[in-house]
Amino acid sequence: MSAASAMLSPAPGTIPVLEARGLSARYGHVEALHPTDLFVAEGELVAVLGPNGAGKSTLLRAILGLVTNAGSVSLRGTPLPRLDPVAVASRGVVLVPEGRGIFGPMSVAENLELGAYRLRDAGEFRHRREKVLELFPRLKERLTQVAGSMSGGEQQMLAIGRALMAGPQVLLLDEPSLGLAPRVTEEILATLGGLNGEGLSIILVEQKAPLALQLANRAYLLSVGRIVATLDPREITSYDELAQHYFA
Amino acid sequence: MADFSYIPQVLVSGLGIGCVYGLIGIGFCVIYNASGIVNFAQGAFVMLGGMLTQGLLQRYGLPLLPAALVAIAIVALLGVVLERVVVRPLWDRKATMFTMILATLAAQIVIERVTLLVGGDQPKTLPMFTDLPPIQVSGVAVSYQLLWIVGSSLLAVAALAAFFRLTRTGKAMRACAINREAAALQGIPVSRMLAAAFAISAALGAMAGILITPTQYTAFNVGVPFAISGFIAAIVGGFGRPFGAFLGGLMLGLVQSLAILGFGAGLKTVAALSVLLLFLFIRPSGLLGAAK
Repeated sequence: MSAASAMLSPAPGTIPVLEARGLSARYGHVEALHPTDLFVAEGELVAVLGPNGAGKSTLLRAILGLVTNAGSVSLRGTPLPRLDPVAVASRGVVLVPEGRGIFGPMSVAENLELGAYRLRDAGEFRHRREKVLELFPRLKERLTQVAGSMSGGEQQMLAIGRALMAGPQVLLLDEPSLGLAPRVTEEILATLGGLNGEGLSIILVEQKAPLALQLANRAYLLSVGRIVATLDPREITSYDELAQHYFA
Repeated sequence: MADFSYIPQVLVSGLGIGCVYGLIGIGFCVIYNASGIVNFAQGAFVMLGGMLTQGLLQRYGLPLLPAALVAIAIVALLGVVLERVVVRPLWDRKATMFTMILATLAAQIVIERVTLLVGGDQPKTLPMFTDLPPIQVSGVAVSYQLLWIVGSSLLAVAALAAFFRLTRTGKAMRACAINREAAALQGIPVSRMLAAAFAISAALGAMAGILITPTQYTAFNVGVPFAISGFIAAIVGGFGRPFGAFLGGLMLGLVQSLAILGFGAGLKTVAALSVLLLFLFIRPSGLLGAAK
């Protein structure tokens, strides 16, 4: 059962890009995420699935230090600063938050520029921007447009593009498909799959499990603030089987 | 009965005081945008601008312009200190907005009292920046000080607009105003942006205080009335909209000057508060619509 154990802990001798140990989070007196272990290996796309209110967003927010948390998170073996989202983001752990969080009244170009706020190298800036505009050609047509006036799908593209401008070590996405038409969702998820194929490590929180499982190397299933299963997408052959995990 | 032939003259002087209210109002907006805090220590910056310039002029014999610039720099620095010492600790402890607003009010009182102890209770003034008789423009006397006030205010507003549009820090500050959490997630140091907002607001306040002092006087207790007028300017302009606040200030200055002409100086505050109430009733989001 070496395959199964490799799914539960990082392969021996390798340091995961991101690893959380005993990570928990609370809102006031309510522990929304119970102590959780999780890792993302180099170049992996890990899906986090689970019903509404399972604590998926809280898990991402705990990794960033946006909520009161306990436990530890490390990036390539180096512990991340606690409860300091700015410092965590500066190390390359970049979250595309639920609801996208774009700077609506600002232009698309300004949004992208602010993604690279930490970057001082003008050449690298141009390089990243070209890459983002290549990934999302629609943004290129709208560079001077006010970001908030774009469609939901375009705003999501901008949010991902802005995150890529930061040059992430690991990209965290919280429900990128929320409120989007199926075709746009597929387009965006395909782009994420492409980025992952180029070696970017990704944690993808998604309600639309079937779509996420098509891309994922591995999936965590969250329920009531706990990881209840680690899944190998190749072993999920039917939605019935997945549903069993949801309702188990 | 008011003499209507004075109206052009009154409007001109209203323009001057309006610019000053506008600068103070912008100060409110810049801090509010960065943090959601209404900084009631804004008046202290205005008062210190005049008082420090006067002190540097009198005690250290500095020429007026260097004295004014040094005073603005000191007050800007004090703004940062205020943010670090008073606001940030509360912020880090996730204090409620109400607590933070009260804390700035306390800071206002402390600064006022310290100024009283150090500088005494006697009113002071500054010389006119350009000591020449007023220019006559078709029967209206325009003083050089008025030109200084309007000119420097417009310059400050233009510089601020360029700062927010063109510079990295300015854009990052706008981003924080729109969505602080999203800004933090991009690695933008949101707390440093807050300190920058305090520095800018303090500098604008000090500038307003220095510009207006030659036409009036300054003393340890002039801050609060100015802060109230600036606050009204900010609300009239649409809270959180710096350029709205400047327009609001101009409007308030004009209305106040007309009220003084029509009803006497005693009703100047009544006029200001009436403008506020009118806006709260009819257009609560202000001239340009509130930012949030």
